[in-house]
Amino acid sequence: MEKSLEKRVEYALNYNGKGSDYFGIIIVNWLLTVVTLGIYYPWAKAKQLQYIYNSTSLNDDSFEFHGTGKEMFKGFLKAILIFLVLYGVLGLFIYLKMPITALLLFYVLLIAIFPIAIHGSYRYRMSRSSWRGIRFGYRGDRKEFTLLFFKWIFFTIITLGIYGPWMAMNMRNYLLGNVRFGDVEFEYDGDGTDYFALNIKGYLLTIVTLGIYGFWWQKDLFEYYVNNLSLTREDGKIRFNSTATGGDFFKLITLNLLILIFTLGLGYAWVVTRTLKFVFEHVEAEGNINLDTLTQTEENYKDATGEDLSDFLNLDSVM
Amino acid sequence: MMNNKTTAVFYDGNSSVPQQIELSLNKLNATLEFQMSDGTHCKWLVKDVFFDKRATGLHLKYGSEVIQHIKIKDDHFINTIHHFRRENGHISWYQKLLDLGFAAHFGIALAILGIIGLCYVYVIPWAAEQSVNLIPEEYDNKLGNSAWAGNEYFMNVDSKKTKLLNDFAKQLNLKNTKNLKFIVVKSDEINAFALPDGRIVVFTGILEEMKNYNELVGLLGHEASHVNNRHSMKMLCRSLSGYLFISVILGDANGIMATIGDNINSFQSLSFSREFERQADADGFKILLANKVNPQGMSNLFKRLKQNNFVSIPEFLSSHPVTENRIEYIDKMVKNQKITTINHPQLESLFAKLKQ
Ligand SMILES: [Zn+2]
Repeated sequence: MEKSLEKRVEYALNYNGKGSDYFGIIIVNWLLTVVTLGIYYPWAKAKQLQYIYNSTSLNDDSFEFHGTGKEMFKGFLKAILIFLVLYGVLGLFIYLKMPITALLLFYVLLIAIFPIAIHGSYRYRMSRSSWRGIRFGYRGDRKEFTLLFFKWIFFTIITLGIYGPWMAMNMRNYLLGNVRFGDVEFEYDGDGTDYFALNIKGYLLTIVTLGIYGFWWQKDLFEYYVNNLSLTREDGKIRFNSTATGGDFFKLITLNLLILIFTLGLGYAWVVTRTLKFVFEHVEAEGNINLDTLTQTEENYKDATGEDLSDFLNLDSVM
Repeated sequence: MMNNKTTAVFYDGNSSVPQQIELSLNKLNATLEFQMSDGTHCKWLVKDVFFDKRATGLHLKYGSEVIQHIKIKDDHFINTIHHFRRENGHISWYQKLLDLGFAAHFGIALAILGIIGLCYVYVIPWAAEQSVNLIPEEYDNKLGNSAWAGNEYFMNVDSKKTKLLNDFAKQLNLKNTKNLKFIVVKSDEINAFALPDGRIVVFTGILEEMKNYNELVGLLGHEASHVNNRHSMKMLCRSLSGYLFISVILGDANGIMATIGDNINSFQSLSFSREFERQADADGFKILLANKVNPQGMSNLFKRLKQNNFVSIPEFLSSHPVTENRIEYIDKMVKNQKITTINHPQLESLFAKLKQ
């Protein structure tokens, strides 16, 4: 079979999940988490991720998440151990009456946990996701990424945060650029200057319009994320394109808020479902890679420590 | 045998090439059987297969390192497999919970919310109050001190009347375990409040409303009881643990420091619960009795404050205004008890000076 197609085709991305099904999963998980005093949490998280991945399809075949509660529970224990060691180091140096060394070391180690968590989370999530049995993978180098992260953080601190958008784009380029889907490579082409301009414009216009422009800002951010993403293999390529408008975002966000308010939060499952449907309905994928010819290239990676560290640090938004 | 056969799509776990296969369910051996495109025969034990029903069809996963997939779209065959698995007890308890359906899930959600609500309203405050016994008293003093330090600047202390009020209180047994310090503040506000370190602040506004020294004894008894019962600390522990509980439930613990800060800064407006007020009324009443002062003073003060219907509600009435209930409660105790009162000429003269 040919690896690249002669004609460009459209790929179908869909979210087929149902609010009531997801609600059932959330409630059953909630019950089990309460009954086990929280111990069930890793299993609950795995089940929820599995449902969302399984309900997302590409060309009528769904994605898979193979991560298990057991893996995440082990990762959870390791993550706790890492934090204990961190506080142990802090305590030790304070005990030795070296409070400045203690604090300095504490913050350096704490900052170092972030790239390690992000790296680990990417490796785990990607390696545990697949489509038609073909695994995703993350090929970033932990040491390289950690050093880069420190460099970006340093620039961000000495520029009082102005470097932030450049840091965000450098990080996204690095992370997504190292994602593999079998023998297909991801690529992200973000530019700090463009991203900075987009955010400044969004921020100022949102203030001027008393928040109304916020929906269009959101649309721009989404578009910037989607349109700069591409997949390549040899001479084959898949490009993504956002079709969402500011008005679409207005409808999505206001309705979501109304649902949450009037159901006292119980409508969360429908909010997630609506949002995911929205995302996949408004992403077009087009190109000439023959998806019937992907081959398995990525290894299994079952260590969920990074995933759990990210959970502790509330890093969900980095994904 | 027709029922137990269907066409399906197979993925071998090494490439994304879809292979059309003929899949059959062998009920006797409890296996799923098919032939790969290279001719290999495969037999999967049904109990080793992971099943998942999705919008795209029924998905079968098999293997751990190399994971093979089968996708089935034939509803009839899907049903057959489902029945077979149910009959053989292959459906997991988790799946059974999911299969309960929306109404049951909704019921479970309401039940959990109900339990959380009960915990928040009853269990947490109770536990918090018990935990107050573990907190050393000096912590009350620190809290009171910092609250006073934050507000002192805005208070116009009447030092002459402050001395008179302290002399007045010295004549009384307020059943206090810690030193009480009385302060009179010049203000039209009809107000009085107690800080956890034993400072009791009385505004000149409320003194002016009083007609008899026994009313002042009633007020001091009430405020002293707040201190004796550590109501401020109990209140702080309640709101803190309530916050802690909510933030654990919602997975957010950032607001804890803010709660401590808010409580320290707003001791004046800190409204005690109805229950604490009742306790302070009851204990204040006992103090009146113990000092052989006419307890009618307490209810007289309440009645007058209520009649005049003040716009600014005093602290010791705020959030629990002088209800008929509270007055009735005192009047009933007055009736039901043998009361011996004696004259207190010293209190009377000090009260007269305070009123000047
Ligand atoms: Zn009171």
